[in-house]
Amino acid sequence: MFRNELFRTATFRLTLAVVAAMIGSAALQFFFGYSQANVFEAKRSDTLLLREASILQHETPAGLEQQVRDRATDDLRIIMNATTLFDAGQHYIVGDLHSWPTGLVADGRVHVIAPEATGGSSATVLRMVAVSVPGGRYLVLGRSRQMRTELRLMMRHSMLVSIVPTVLFALITGIILSHRALSRVKDMHEAIDRIMEGDLHERLPAGRQDDDLQRLAGSVNRMLDRLEQLLDEIRDVGNDIAHDLRTPLARVRARLDRALNADHSAEALRNVIARTIDDLDQSFAIITALLRIGEIENGRRRAGFGTVDLDALVADIVDLYEPIAETKGIILSCAAGEEPIRVQGDRDLLIEVLANLVDNAIKFTPGGGRVEIHTIMNGECAMLQVTDTGIGIPAAERKAVTGRFYRSDKSRHIPGSGLGLSLVSAIVALHHARLDIMPTRVHERLPGATMTIIFPPFCVVQAGN
Amino acid sequence: MSVPPENLPPDPLPTVPRPEATPRVLLVEDDGKIAQEVIEELESRHYVVQHEFSGAAGLSMGLNAHFDVMIVDRMLPELDGLTLIETLRERQVHVPVLVLSALSAVDDRVSGLKAGGDDYLTKPFAMEELAARLEALLRRPDTSRHTMLRAGPLEMDLITRTVRRDGEPIDLLPREFRLLEYLMRRPNQVLTRNMLLEDVWNYRFIPQTNLVDVHIGKLRRKIDETGRPPLIQSIRGAGFMLRVS
Repeated sequence: MFRNELFRTATFRLTLAVVAAMIGSAALQFFFGYSQANVFEAKRSDTLLLREASILQHETPAGLEQQVRDRATDDLRIIMNATTLFDAGQHYIVGDLHSWPTGLVADGRVHVIAPEATGGSSATVLRMVAVSVPGGRYLVLGRSRQMRTELRLMMRHSMLVSIVPTVLFALITGIILSHRALSRVKDMHEAIDRIMEGDLHERLPAGRQDDDLQRLAGSVNRMLDRLEQLLDEIRDVGNDIAHDLRTPLARVRARLDRALNADHSAEALRNVIARTIDDLDQSFAIITALLRIGEIENGRRRAGFGTVDLDALVADIVDLYEPIAETKGIILSCAAGEEPIRVQGDRDLLIEVLANLVDNAIKFTPGGGRVEIHTIMNGECAMLQVTDTGIGIPAAERKAVTGRFYRSDKSRHIPGSGLGLSLVSAIVALHHARLDIMPTRVHERLPGATMTIIFPPFCVVQAGN
Repeated sequence: MSVPPENLPPDPLPTVPRPEATPRVLLVEDDGKIAQEVIEELESRHYVVQHEFSGAAGLSMGLNAHFDVMIVDRMLPELDGLTLIETLRERQVHVPVLVLSALSAVDDRVSGLKAGGDDYLTKPFAMEELAARLEALLRRPDTSRHTMLRAGPLEMDLITRTVRRDGEPIDLLPREFRLLEYLMRRPNQVLTRNMLLEDVWNYRFIPQTNLVDVHIGKLRRKIDETGRPPLIQSIRGAGFMLRVS
């Protein structure tokens, strides 16, 4: 199993390829070197044979016979391997060859003769020349390919001596390297398996070397950090949802329990039921708001986009919220610029944003305060601003308020789903706009909050378009 | 912020006669659970409900039998809800249709109404909301071009934009006038907060505060007199009603 894995690693495959290339190139080198040497050696042999033959041709018959006899027993055999004198009928007279080699023609040219043709006296192939000498005899000179064979052996040896250690070294290095890579990958696999089993705190092992694998592991670890953070947030939201849903349900349960044990009149029971329905409605409102936020954050709601007149929107909202502000003794007013401001957006969603902001402003502003809505062109950007003179949002909490269920400690006693601003930020994000939260005024007991939605220039519809 | 509700005794459930004693409803909905709930709710309100699961079956039923109102889900097997309604309208079937849709398809409201639907309700919905809207569809509002509207002791002149109760002029703000006109065109009919927000203010969201209650409260203080039975009644768990004899 592990061996199979070893063969599958990229490092090991690369090693194998390199080794194969090395062997191939060495073999090619050997082949070319050998064939060059072979050609050279053949030419040299032929020259030597012919020169020797021409020298011996000029000897006297007796001298020649003596020479041949000497050579057959001499060290020179190493150079000139066969020297034999035949008579005119090609019968043996003296020398190393005992019969006329088959296929040899006495034409003074070099012939290649197979060893069996020489009567078995020589183990190797011979290059032979037969010349006629005085007395009607023939002189046969032969040279074995001994040299060539030796050359080949030598080259083969030298190649083996050089290539085998190199190949072995490459293979061992490859195996070690791939082993190491494999064990790191194995560690990572195990870590990933643990993560998949639900241990989200697990991270891929960090090695010492700074290589591709390490960088990849780093990226994966950063991704895991982010995922863990998101999951934590979701878990927190889940807890918050559970808590916010549980509260009204617990109230419902307690009330029904009391009603069951008490001796209520039909009228009183009806009252209990009515209040129970109110509490259930609150739970429903939370669920509906959550579903809506999810829907908007999925970003699928673009079909309702069109040109929206912000000033008309503000006028509508004032019309809707004026009675409620009045009831609380708050002055609700709006101020528009000279030019009408229009943006690309979904009227229904934008009015929901504005309604939520105004709703919050009225909620968190004590009686006698003011809530103002402004539409402003700031350079190329369109701004929709709701300012109040309420309790404000502390700087440290400004980011958190757009999260799900966030409610400032100061406002725990004020009812609401706690989802208004997260809905607002979801809708604002859908419009590519930005939500800024600032205090309305400093150094006051009630700093107030100024919520500004800033539409980028490309969302602003220019007049006349 | 919660505005204290008007200190009125809870009203008994409305027992207003319907225009038809037992209205026939065609429900085309593939979700069995929702269908079951709707059927139970409507039968308790004395509707006769015919239920079909698929768009094709709903269409053939809608073409071949008479119904007073239809409830059609948008997502249906075989034939989707909008095509069903379009086909009905092409064949000159003008029964009012309430379109149901899943929350994620809220974008499609406009297309739902364009296809020939008369009202649109997004799941999940409260049964009271469904019942009130069905009733509104069954009794088409008085959209006559009369310049005078009358409901009980109330009289509304649409030209001079004046309102009188028993001949006494009542001073109303434009938004109060709009709200009262909507109520007077639909007397003795349960109107939910969502219906009022959608139709009077053209808003399609559920505000965190009881906005509609505040507006109704203001209007009520102007048109209802102390010591007399209130004209605008709160219907517990549902909405409001302009009760006139």
